[in-house]
Amino acid sequence: MKRQKTPMVLKIKQVITIIIVGLIVIWFLTPLVLITISAFASPSDYYQIDKVIPTHFTLSQFKSLFFELEAWKAILTSIKVAVVTMLLSFVIGLPAGYALSRYIFPGKNFLKLLILATRMFPLMILAIPLLIIFMRMGVSDSIWGTSLAHTAMVLPMIILISSSILSGVSVDYEEAAMIFGLSRIQAFFKITLPLALPGLAASAIFAFIISWNEVFVATILTLTNRTLPAHILKTAMASPDYFKFTGGFIMAIPAMVFIFFVRRHLVTMWGISLK
Amino acid sequence: MKEREGKIRLVKVKLKGLKKYFGKVKAVDDISLEINPGEFVVLLGPSGCGKTTLLRCVSGLEVVTTGKVFFDEDDVTYLSPKDRNISMVFQNYAIWPHMTVNNNIGFPLRIKRYSQKEIEKRVNWAAELLGIDNLLDRYPVQLSGGQRQRVAVARAIVMEPKVLLMDEPLSNLDALLRVRMRAEIRKLQENLKVTTIYVTHDQVEAMTMGNRIAVLNQGILQQFGSSEEIYHNPVNTFVAGFIGSPQMNFIEVEIVSQGKELFLKTKGLEVSLLDKYKDKVSKLSGKRKYILGVRPEHIYVSGRAQTDKVAATKGKVYFAELLRSDTVLHLEKEFGFLVVKAPGDLKIKEGKEIEILVDLLRIHLFDKDTGKAIF
Repeated sequence: MKRQKTPMVLKIKQVITIIIVGLIVIWFLTPLVLITISAFASPSDYYQIDKVIPTHFTLSQFKSLFFELEAWKAILTSIKVAVVTMLLSFVIGLPAGYALSRYIFPGKNFLKLLILATRMFPLMILAIPLLIIFMRMGVSDSIWGTSLAHTAMVLPMIILISSSILSGVSVDYEEAAMIFGLSRIQAFFKITLPLALPGLAASAIFAFIISWNEVFVATILTLTNRTLPAHILKTAMASPDYFKFTGGFIMAIPAMVFIFFVRRHLVTMWGISLK
Repeated sequence: MKEREGKIRLVKVKLKGLKKYFGKVKAVDDISLEINPGEFVVLLGPSGCGKTTLLRCVSGLEVVTTGKVFFDEDDVTYLSPKDRNISMVFQNYAIWPHMTVNNNIGFPLRIKRYSQKEIEKRVNWAAELLGIDNLLDRYPVQLSGGQRQRVAVARAIVMEPKVLLMDEPLSNLDALLRVRMRAEIRKLQENLKVTTIYVTHDQVEAMTMGNRIAVLNQGILQQFGSSEEIYHNPVNTFVAGFIGSPQMNFIEVEIVSQGKELFLKTKGLEVSLLDKYKDKVSKLSGKRKYILGVRPEHIYVSGRAQTDKVAATKGKVYFAELLRSDTVLHLEKEFGFLVVKAPGDLKIKEGKEIEILVDLLRIHLFDKDTGKAIF
């Protein structure tokens, strides 16, 4: 028989767990804290070598980033691109996810793999040909072009996530609706969609964040209509360090807000039900 | 119980050569059935026998491979479920979690654009009938399993469907509730007189609820008849073995003739045939193998028989299941175990040898190769 654990051993285990968790949290949060502090630090404090934590704070670099460097335009572009990306990826991804969750067909698993495989190619390789194609199509340096590229990046995730969310809604609900007078499409909109909505909303925001954060493609595909990350890369990188932190802070906000709101749904998003 | 309003539409359901294949799997294999208007028919069989698939073919949720489904004279084979005017009670209720009980029950009516007043009236009628009128404002998560089941049934009858389909509606309820709901659903159906097809794997449910029972196995219809017919005249060894608890005893026997008499004989048991069976047996070829079937309740412990037309034999009690209402004895015989259902007051010790009597009127004979009943 296994030896029973004494209260002392359990206590030690608990303490060790807390220490490990604490280390992980510090590991992830330190950069965030540093970015936040530095984003608001006054330039003189920031450059004072013996001051680890600045004491004077200012909003001046926000002001100049927003207005002199025209970040507000970039933010607007970013939002437009992210919204279009979100919509496009759902219009295409939701039916695909539904098909994967509800139907059994030959080659289904292979198809799933193929969807993931689209993420296999490094963006660096795809970027230049993509730019040329977009230039020929006349959508380079536009919101549409960037959105299309972002949709291609987000789509595999949206398909797989929405298929797992829809799988969480029992087929019986849909079939019951079909028995009681709805067609399959009506049943989807009246029954399945409302039930899957929390999870789908979370994945929609997920798509938004991916597009919001994406910098490489956005930089290559645009010159004037730059999204925020691309814009910051261009302007802030040529500016003093504290501007970089300010840029980083603005970039991080939506993701943080998102995580706070959808923490609960993130779990169901990956196909694990909390029930 | 309130009478249902309006005229009663009774629909005959006819299945003609219905087949449903999933790839190479024959889930439903050439089934023809005629269900009378207002009849309560139970589809009974072990899991995987195709009973649920058959029900889903009737509902339209599954498209048949070949064959036809008729409601009265209307061919509904390829009609989508919503246009069939049917309703269904699902095994796990399938009441929508994002709607209140009221909205769940009223849903079919709202889809069909009934007036608000009519909806309210009918929902109240159905809810009252099922005794859930005090729960109308609740959400499904706030209900117990039994209450959810009642909501599902109320939703199914609110439309006054042509055909009511039930897919193992009681299998998720606890034993006590199941017995109660069994009676309630039966009474409800008798009052509504709606043609009902009820799927179950529980033979007690089937025997107590159905006007007629269709026994299925491996996608093939074995027998369709009243519970009496199925119990007393099973057409083959599958039906004989599936119906009845404990299971029927199957004993391999030879047919032996001595003068005018015919016997079914094996080591340790000799059963003489009554005159009414002789004709059927005398025609049989002596080369084939036969199986004697006799239900445990048709073997009596010596002294407890109610008839004198019996065949006596002896056996040692290997194991006695004391259920108190009955005693199920497992006797050691030369051909294996013989199960006997004896009265509960019987005091029998294991290891003791006792005399038992086989009721000659209640025996069955099957062809061993085909499994078909000879009588």
